[in-house]
Amino acid sequence: MRIAISCWLALAGFLQAGGLTFEKEVLQIHAAADAGSVVADFNFQNNTDQPVTIAKVDKTCSCIGVEVSDGKLVYAPGEGGQIRATFDMQNFSGVIDKTVVLWLDKDPVEKPSVTLTVEVHIPVLVALKEKTLKWSVGAKPETQKIDVLVDYTKPIKIVTTSCTSDNFNVKVITLEEGKHYEIAVTPTDTKEPGLAIIRIETDCDVKRHQILQAFAVIRRELPPLP
Amino acid sequence: MNAIAQLVAVLTISAAATATTYWIKGPPERAVRCDPAKLKPDEVCLERVMNEWQGRVLWVDARPRGDWERNGMAGAALWNLESSENMQTFEADIAGRMLDGPRVVVYCNNEDCGISRQVAERIKALQLGNEVYVLYGGWRALVAAKLTKDFHRK
Repeated sequence: MRIAISCWLALAGFLQAGGLTFEKEVLQIHAAADAGSVVADFNFQNNTDQPVTIAKVDKTCSCIGVEVSDGKLVYAPGEGGQIRATFDMQNFSGVIDKTVVLWLDKDPVEKPSVTLTVEVHIPVLVALKEKTLKWSVGAKPETQKIDVLVDYTKPIKIVTTSCTSDNFNVKVITLEEGKHYEIAVTPTDTKEPGLAIIRIETDCDVKRHQILQAFAVIRRELPPLP
Repeated sequence: MNAIAQLVAVLTISAAATATTYWIKGPPERAVRCDPAKLKPDEVCLERVMNEWQGRVLWVDARPRGDWERNGMAGAALWNLESSENMQTFEADIAGRMLDGPRVVVYCNNEDCGISRQVAERIKALQLGNEVYVLYGGWRALVAAKLTKDFHRK
């Protein structure tokens, strides 16, 4: 009977997932305004008494590249390594969370052992305080404004603006050259619902801040939702 | 009884117990269990979307473009955070479709997928005033409920 129980326990042992201990599972990185990418290194150690295998690494975005310590996937007890996540920031600004997910040994597909998070702070060099200006159908076509604030060591000027609808007049008001602007938007009429895209082009040397987008919307009052 | 016979006996008993459980309780539960009491403030259960709101929402698919082209919810708009995509195109498309005032429900690959929440935040930042939710269970919940369709759209 002892042999049978030993076999049983040995089989059961295979079902136990191993573990890696990470120094930090969440890393905060403050990126430079003009940085194209940032690197986050997650250091870990196998603090169990059994070898641990990294069975699969998954990233939640094609904007992240992941490397595991020179491709090494099996870690003996006491052995350490590093997961390096490289985040391509070209489409992002503000605070962005990106995750890397690790399956160890025989983790089930739906339950990976480790989720690593990179919290990247990307400076917002040109901020639109209002993203969408709204008028109700039939309302007085009053002028509304978008506040544009520059937060950069160099001045950033608005070069041009454009609007996808002839029903809106768009005018740039300079409050402080290179630092602070207002975009004044006035509908010709508000008889029909509609949406216009306002594109604001700047001379910023960081590509992701060169074209900004806001919306002007004429809409009926939202019907009550069930 | 030798060791092998004992092992066979243990395995037989285990198999019998498994079969009995399957017979009494049925196959394993594959549907995503969603407890409204445990949801985060911005999450919604699929059951509520389909029953209480009769599915009248704007679905937003936060998976990679290839997945969205292959299958998903009928009429779902695409908005993911891939580097190759143009976020301003997504903004313009979804803003236009939110005008009629539907609720917006974002899904991605599973309940751990943080991209849904990030996309939901970007949709809220459009300041159009629509209610925006993250679907609890994401893609897995939709598949379990047999709501997804194959498209092969290009």
